[in-house]
Amino acid sequence: MTNTIQILSIEKTGKESSLQKEHNNKSIKIIDGYFFSRNLDDQKFTKISKLISNDVSQTILTKKNVKKVLSSYSNFNWVVEIKFLPGVTDNIATTVKEIIKDNLKSSSKSFELGSTKIILIKGRKEDITKISKNEANPLIQTIKIYPFKQYLNNFKKNQFKIEKVKLPKKKYSKKEINLDISDHQLSLIGKLGIEENDKSRRGTLGLDLESLKVIRDYFSTIKRKPTDVEIETLAQTWSEHCKHKIFSAKIDDIQEGIFKKYIKGATEKIIQLRKDNFCVSLFTDNAGGIEFNKDWIICHKVETHNTPSALDPFGGAITGIVGVNRDCLGFGKGAKPIANTYAYYLADPNKKYQLYRQKNNKDPMLPANFIAKGIISGVRVGGNCSGIPTPQGNVYFDDRFAGKPLVFCGTVGIIPKKIKGKLSHKKKANPGDIILMAGGRVGKDGIHGATFSSEELDPNSPVSAVQIGDPITQKKMSDVIIRELRDENLYSSITDNGAGGLSSSIGEMAKESGGFIVNLEKVPLKYNGLYPWEIWVSESQERMTLAVPPANVKKVIKRFNARGVEATIIGKFIKKDKAIVKYNKTEILNLDMEFLHEGYPKLNLKTSFPKIKKEKKKIIKKSSLIDKLHKLLSSPNIVSKEFIATQYDHEVQATSIIKPLQGEGRIFGNATAIKPLFDDEKSIALSQAAYPQYAETNPYDMAGCSIDTAYKNLIVSGANSKKIAILDNFCWCSSDEPDRLYQLKEAAKACYDYAVAYQTPFISGKDSMFNDFKGFDKTGKSVKISIPPTLLISSIGVVDKISHLTKMTPDEGDILLVLGNTRNELQDSVYSKIVGYEKSKNPVVNSNDALCTYRNFEKANKLGIINSAIGIDLGGIGIAVTKMAIASKKGLTIDLKLKNKISVDQFLFSETQSRILVSMKKNKLVNFKKIFKGSDYTIIGKCTGSDVVEFKDNKKIIRSKISDFAMSYKQNIKGL
Amino acid sequence: MNVLVLSGYGINCENETLHAFEVVGFKGKIVHINDLIQNPKQLNNYQVFAIPGGFSYGDDTGSGNAMAKKILTNLYDQLIDFSLKDKLIIGICNGCQILINLGLVPSLNKKDPEVAMIENKSGSYECRWVDVKVNNNKSPWLKNISILNLPVAHQEGQFMIPINLLKSIKANNLIGLQYINNHKKLAKGQFPFNPNGSKDDIAALTNQNGNVLAMMPHPERAFYHYHVPNWQNNTSKKFGDGYKIFMNAKKFFA
Repeated sequence: MTNTIQILSIEKTGKESSLQKEHNNKSIKIIDGYFFSRNLDDQKFTKISKLISNDVSQTILTKKNVKKVLSSYSNFNWVVEIKFLPGVTDNIATTVKEIIKDNLKSSSKSFELGSTKIILIKGRKEDITKISKNEANPLIQTIKIYPFKQYLNNFKKNQFKIEKVKLPKKKYSKKEINLDISDHQLSLIGKLGIEENDKSRRGTLGLDLESLKVIRDYFSTIKRKPTDVEIETLAQTWSEHCKHKIFSAKIDDIQEGIFKKYIKGATEKIIQLRKDNFCVSLFTDNAGGIEFNKDWIICHKVETHNTPSALDPFGGAITGIVGVNRDCLGFGKGAKPIANTYAYYLADPNKKYQLYRQKNNKDPMLPANFIAKGIISGVRVGGNCSGIPTPQGNVYFDDRFAGKPLVFCGTVGIIPKKIKGKLSHKKKANPGDIILMAGGRVGKDGIHGATFSSEELDPNSPVSAVQIGDPITQKKMSDVIIRELRDENLYSSITDNGAGGLSSSIGEMAKESGGFIVNLEKVPLKYNGLYPWEIWVSESQERMTLAVPPANVKKVIKRFNARGVEATIIGKFIKKDKAIVKYNKTEILNLDMEFLHEGYPKLNLKTSFPKIKKEKKKIIKKSSLIDKLHKLLSSPNIVSKEFIATQYDHEVQATSIIKPLQGEGRIFGNATAIKPLFDDEKSIALSQAAYPQYAETNPYDMAGCSIDTAYKNLIVSGANSKKIAILDNFCWCSSDEPDRLYQLKEAAKACYDYAVAYQTPFISGKDSMFNDFKGFDKTGKSVKISIPPTLLISSIGVVDKISHLTKMTPDEGDILLVLGNTRNELQDSVYSKIVGYEKSKNPVVNSNDALCTYRNFEKANKLGIINSAIGIDLGGIGIAVTKMAIASKKGLTIDLKLKNKISVDQFLFSETQSRILVSMKKNKLVNFKKIFKGSDYTIIGKCTGSDVVEFKDNKKIIRSKISDFAMSYKQNIKGL
Repeated sequence: MNVLVLSGYGINCENETLHAFEVVGFKGKIVHINDLIQNPKQLNNYQVFAIPGGFSYGDDTGSGNAMAKKILTNLYDQLIDFSLKDKLIIGICNGCQILINLGLVPSLNKKDPEVAMIENKSGSYECRWVDVKVNNNKSPWLKNISILNLPVAHQEGQFMIPINLLKSIKANNLIGLQYINNHKKLAKGQFPFNPNGSKDDIAALTNQNGNVLAMMPHPERAFYHYHVPNWQNNTSKKFGDGYKIFMNAKKFFA
């Protein structure tokens, strides 16, 4: 009789090796544990153990053998036991339950089980405490540290415990909220949440006083009190997250707001200028769609998951990636996800920032390296397990992300233009359609977002602050939708459940039909005891909402069930524009759709010109050119991100055509391409860019640089300039302060100007406006850390022919040219951070010059004149040249004959935008010159094919071996 | 010639695997495991059974284990039967892990699994291109192949084999593929040539008949020339090395 199964790997696992190395201790062993809610008899124990372990590579620990087996590894003396808090998604436990159900034909409902990681060490208590801090997150896991003797004792006495989710048995009775109260009382509801009978508060609603007054007025007109569910729903629907109030607000003299004027305005202007069918679906759907070829549409969406990733980096990031996958599944009638993208903006993983959310060193921020590692693994597990390639990404480090990391996750999808003769991007829930919820079950996940305080977490209460994605459940659901339902036109509309859960997904879809009636008691739950309002707003993952004509419902449910996916009827769409929610026949919500979606008070924002903090002049550190190159190459923002590229499967689906690591020397490229269809040689090129380092100096130019780089990278990769679209993700800080809003307005204005100039439309976007950390440092001093305003521009383009795709590796004898003009633009550059800073300017994009370069490059590339090319960005020409040499393993000679009174360092390290380093065969130069007549370019050297890179400055020659450069470029990032 | 490509529960390379078989001349179908369990007799219509790559059950409880247990309980006899006929079975990556967990390769003692797939020595997921060679193996899948350049993408690609068994595997020439270095010599465990630390650089095993192949690298991802890294330097060929594996299946039935 026992209540645990514990399994040990006979040989040292990779994880054990890395732990042993990290903690400099050879006596570390990890046990996979499973704790059951009740005892298993011997027969069951043997059967289940056999099902979940491997005879060859693992040993099952039993009361009899445990002491002997473990003593053969070491004299362990400390144990840490890490398991999920009740209610946190435990994917391994789900699989084990399924294996038991499948193979023993016995219901796994009769017991609960949880997976546990048990780490044994021989060492001091401090050592095990340190390990536990690196391996567990107290917000989602319980961490128990105890002596090894006690562990043996627990084994003997069946004392391994699993806590079940225990919620107080609650009988729901409809709760009406009195809003005829003082302004102070009213604002308390907004700030702290609805008051329960025991006077406790539910947690912030994020509703301001003005919104609450509008709600009060609405209900006084219809002559009744609001229910708690109504207020919760309005809070969700009107949240900044869902309504993007800042982007739609009147700001200074811009009546229509910056989204309508600058973002959507740019796209409308471009459509008017272009007169083609390139843009298919803009801004209204879960993702933006463009034409891929005559039969297919591709869509792209990029989301951020910053706050969840600060709290639980792994869970936040995995939820981010599988969440944005669902945006593709919810594009039109359901697009198949075909590529993931990522961009992380992180604090230095090698630094200890020691920040606390509360005074007296309480409630610490997770360490920067824990956050970085967790985020990187979260997207790895999410992307790899879903079978979606993750080719495109980047990472950027800056201290100002210490309080809040930025995690951008994107997905590209593909869908046939027409399905059974109907346009696939159009969808409409019809009155009478059944509301079907498919996928995972509903728990307290993500209710009221993050509460930030781990102290509030009672050990037996489910963790509601964070969600953990379950990619396999989603993959099963996704396969049914894309393969078995969509192409038969079995449903009329579909959308995903993300922020705001059902309240948001059904609310949005009901705009198509009129209104809806939902019966909340029908919603399948992870555990009992949820209040109706919790079911309604829960952000439990892996769920899609479908509108299904009644005649198809049986068939659709059957298809889902046959693939091990749950699907439940929870209501229907109606014609009347009413939002109605019932719980066991009691009506708990009844709102006009118009009020639900448009009733919120519009903001009226004012901006003011910020005081520009001038960067202090730094003394130039004297060092040789070669030394500077090495320092830049190994700096965290330029150094290779190969270790991420190799852990993200970018080959699955067999579409990878330009890979993240390029050339024999494996340079981490800034654009990648996939070829999504077997029978069409067209490819999709992807890139992205952000320049938070330029933001404080000039937000307008910062946005210009982001658009220019994201666009340029696709031109360089070979994309058709007429088939490039972009996405905007604004991550801002303190967006209630006029000077931050000024920066926002400036950046948005640049978005308009450059998008229109390049005629590259915005097709989708998202914003996250308050990325600030307010807390304390280790001395108890209160600190506020704001991210630098960050605008990520993601670009997606179509490459018409395989032969247009470029490479970055020159051949021996090629001549090297820089296309575009180089100016003294070193301010805020990587060079300025590392070497020093002298009188200089920030990069400013001249769109006329840029377009001239890009159009000519495109022409030359199609004619086969360009042999290799690389976009020049961080680190300037110097870094671009060395990257080319590392990639090709072929030596280059660079002639530093300078013009325009520019110094050697300015020429090599300036980050002037809109430049491309190219190589071509000598005999192509005549044709090249014809095309580039009147356009700026400089011949800077040639490819020698030797093993060195040489810089000729008058008669002085400076050189370094390519292999030495490669060493610097491939250094590990400290702390990761 | 018909191929059945298995799907479900997180397998995810079925489309490209089927495509590769179709291009070389097979007719094929992707079949969900639950449908196959419902109607195992449909196996009679097929000459090739392919378990593609993926993340069945998220690798929980060990890669390939949960799916193997599902097959063991519901389809084992039919699959054994299939393997004893003049038919072909291939498991790629997660498919390889499933076949190993089922004991279908090397299948020397015809009972419990004898080999285990364990975590890469590096401790991390490895998605990279490797070179592998065929050494004295008589499997129809590997006929006339010497060296292949293919991608791997796995967290648990290390073959763990007890010493005595390894001896008989070698004696029977059941090692299908071995990782080699840039000088075309055995990688001898050296990373990244051997991406996972597999003993004897093993990248694939077969059964004694050779008709069952369990391989960690992905031939379907190296099918066309443009799949191969830096293909722009060599555009003369239409196909990548993975093509050869699928062609061999075709030739076996031709």
